[in-house]
Amino acid sequence: MSRPPPPVSTLIMRGLFDENPVFRLALSLCPAVAVTTSVKNGLMLGVAVFVVQVLSSVSASALKNVIISKIRIPVFIIIIAIWVTVMDMTLAAYFPEVYEEVGLYVKLIVAFAIIISRMELFSMKNPVVPSFWDGFGMGVGFLVAMILTGAFRELVGSGAIFGIEVVEFKPLLLIVLPAGGFFTIGLIMALFNWVDLKRGKKLPGDYKGCHG
Amino acid sequence: MSTNEPDQITVHGHTHVLKPVNQAPPTPAEMLRIALGLTVVCLIAAVILAFFYYITQPAKEHNQLEREQRTIRQLLNLGPEASIDEVRRYLHWRGNELEVLYLANASLAHLDDDGAELARLDVPDEIRVSTSGDAKDTWVRGRIAGANEESLRYVGRFFVGREKGAAVGYVIEGISVGYKTFIRFFLALDSQFRLQGLEIVHHEEDPGLGDEITQPYFKNQFAGRTRDQIATLEVTKDPLPKEWKLAVESLPELGFGEWLKQFEPEIARHPNIYAITGATISSEAVSDGVKRALGNFLKRMQSVERYL
Repeated sequence: MSRPPPPVSTLIMRGLFDENPVFRLALSLCPAVAVTTSVKNGLMLGVAVFVVQVLSSVSASALKNVIISKIRIPVFIIIIAIWVTVMDMTLAAYFPEVYEEVGLYVKLIVAFAIIISRMELFSMKNPVVPSFWDGFGMGVGFLVAMILTGAFRELVGSGAIFGIEVVEFKPLLLIVLPAGGFFTIGLIMALFNWVDLKRGKKLPGDYKGCHG
Repeated sequence: MSTNEPDQITVHGHTHVLKPVNQAPPTPAEMLRIALGLTVVCLIAAVILAFFYYITQPAKEHNQLEREQRTIRQLLNLGPEASIDEVRRYLHWRGNELEVLYLANASLAHLDDDGAELARLDVPDEIRVSTSGDAKDTWVRGRIAGANEESLRYVGRFFVGREKGAAVGYVIEGISVGYKTFIRFFLALDSQFRLQGLEIVHHEEDPGLGDEITQPYFKNQFAGRTRDQIATLEVTKDPLPKEWKLAVESLPELGFGEWLKQFEPEIARHPNIYAITGATISSEAVSDGVKRALGNFLKRMQSVERYL
C-alpha cells in the first residue's frame, strides 16, 4: 500500500535469484529434500508448487480488502488448501496418467512455507497483477531450485539423469538419502553466494532474518 | 535499539518497520467478529470443495475402476472376449462364532469357520453386474439375519479371469504395511496357481527410494514362481545381477508364456528377491505381503472354489 510495486522483471529475478525460496530464503526445505531424489520428481513437485503459488497469490491479493487481518494466516492456509484439493481432485478425475505420477506430491503443498510467506509479504500489500508476477517469479524460482537439486542428486547419487543411466554404478548413494539433500542444497547455496561475490554484492550474512 | 522508536528489521536490503504489538485481549465484539469471519471462510471453502468434489468424483471413480480392469487384463494377459468376475469376502461375527461369506458371480456362499456350508443364495442380476462395492455390501448385509455394519465386514477380494467360461487365472488383491502406510497390490496367478505377475496398485513409499517397488526390475522378480517357491522366498541384500535384471525387465515385451519358457531355469537359480538399494523395508513389505496373500488365498480356495 505504501510503495508502488516493482516492475515485472524485478519480481521474476527476485524469485529466481535474489530471493530464491530454497537457496536464499531456505524455506520449504523438508519437502524439497524429501522429493528431489531425481530430476523428474523435482520437476513434478516444482510444477505443482508453481501452480498453487500463482493461484494462491492472486486469490489473496483479490481478497485482501475483505480478509480480517487478525485471522489472515488461517485464511491463507484455507485458500492454499482449497487450491491444492481442487488441483488434486481435477488431476485425479481428468488426467489420471499425470495423477499417478504427481499424486504423491500434490498433497504436500499445503504445508509449504514459501506460499504463505509470499501471500503475507506481497499479495496483502499489492494489487492482483503484480501479485500474479510475484507468485510467478517465486514459483519459477522454486521450480528451478527443484530441478537443479534433483539433477545433481540423481546424477551423483544414482548415476542417471531423467531415469536414463549415465554411468553403470552409483557414484555416491549418500546424496540420494535425506542427508545428501541438505548437502546438495548447501553446495548450491554456496554457488549462489559465489556468484553474488563476483557481481560485487555483499554476502547475505548480516541479516537480522526471521526465516523459519 | 531504543524503546521509544519502532523496531526495525532489514531483510535483503529492504527495511521493514515492525508495528508495536497490541497486547490487550480482544473485546467480546472483536472475538465475535473473528469467530464469524472464520466460520464464513470455512463455509465458503466447504461449498467450493463440495462443488468440485461433486463434478470430479464420478470421473475419479470411473478412472479407478477402469485402471483396475486394465491392470487385471494386462496381468492375466486376457483377450478382449474374456470376462472378469469379482469375488468379495466377508466376515460375520454371530456372537462369538465367526462365519465367512463369499459373494461370487453366481452365488453367495455362507460358510462356517471351517469352510462347511451353512447356506447358499442366488445373486440377482443387478448385483452381479454392479460395479459399486457399497451396493454389493449392502445387499449381502440384507440377506444375512442379524447382520449389521458392525458385525458383518468386507475384508478383501479377488478376481477370476474367464475365457469361454473357464477360469484361466486369478488376481488377488493384497495389502501389506510398508515404510509409511499400506501398500496395496494385485497378484496374478495362472490356473495352476503359479505366480504370473505383480502390480503395485497404491502406495505412499518415499519417492526415489521405496517407490522403486513399482519398477519392473523389482516387481517382476516375483513372476514365474510356483506356490512352493513363493513359500520359501526370502529377501537378500545382495546386488541384483545385471543379466537377471535384464531378464526380469524383458517380461512385458515377451509376454508371460514366452518369458517363462526362456527363463524358467533362471528362476531356480535366483531363489530370493533382491532388495532395492536403500529400501530394504519396502522390499520386505512387498515380499512378505505376496507370501501371505498367496498362502491365505490357497487356503481359502479349498472352501470357495466350488462356488466360483
